[in-house]
Amino acid sequence: MALKILSVDDSRTIRLIVGKAFKPYECDMVEATNGEEGLVVAAREKPDLIILDVTMPVMDGVTMLTKLKADDALKGIPVIMLTAESGRENVLHIAKLGVRDYLVKPFKDDQLIEKAGRVIPLQKKPVPA
Amino acid sequence: MTQTLQLPSVCDFMTRHLVDVFETMLSMPVALRPGAPMPDFDSRVTGSVGFAGDKVTGAIYLHMSAPFAQIAAAAMLGLKPEEISDENEVNDVVGEATNMVTGGLKSWLCDSGAECAMSTPAIIRGKSFAIEPMPDVARECLVFAHEENFVVVELHIKLN
Repeated sequence: MALKILSVDDSRTIRLIVGKAFKPYECDMVEATNGEEGLVVAAREKPDLIILDVTMPVMDGVTMLTKLKADDALKGIPVIMLTAESGRENVLHIAKLGVRDYLVKPFKDDQLIEKAGRVIPLQKKPVPA
Repeated sequence: MTQTLQLPSVCDFMTRHLVDVFETMLSMPVALRPGAPMPDFDSRVTGSVGFAGDKVTGAIYLHMSAPFAQIAAAAMLGLKPEEISDENEVNDVVGEATNMVTGGLKSWLCDSGAECAMSTPAIIRGKSFAIEPMPDVARECLVFAHEENFVVVELHIKLN
């Protein structure tokens, strides 16, 4: 069964880039455009991994992560933060909330895949004959 | 205010970071043109993100021509420029690039002792406009070139 990955980012550009990065792998992508929507999609889809932006309208990524970790049904879902902000205090704060890893924008596809591969068993799709 | 938060060091950081954002996300090398004037863009797409804290406030404006914005958007999305037909796609890419540029600056400012928060991106499109800073706000324009195209980082910053 394919893994399910939830990309939460207000930027369609980033959701497209994340989706493209995982395209060669056996996984299904689901998306949300802010933290509030992300919690709803996470509860409905039970993803194997969440790639979560920090700065978003409506509900930011840190608030979504806090609520996720407070929910018994969702707190086990691993989260990789994908953030444009890499300041020491910011990273320490996020780490304390129970994030599995973080990736700072700008990033390359292979950096994202490498970090995701440490959290979930990514498998390449078979090459068509 | 520490020595590291003088305007020249902010500009040095911005130069390195803008080059990194374009190389990493767009595979597009850009080079600073020291002292170059603001290019006369025929039509312009500008991304803006503000930042504010007790010790620093300001905004970053990322300017490029509309045709180059389409080329940059295609590069970031792994498409051909002609495959992008929606202005909103270009706006989103320019907004995200501005977000990354400002996010790097915000992190650098925070690590230098000037905690601040940043806004979500906004886009300005037009043929002829200038953004005037408020009184006591410094303005620096850093002009970069990729082949015959220009990208300008306009920094408005007030160090308290």
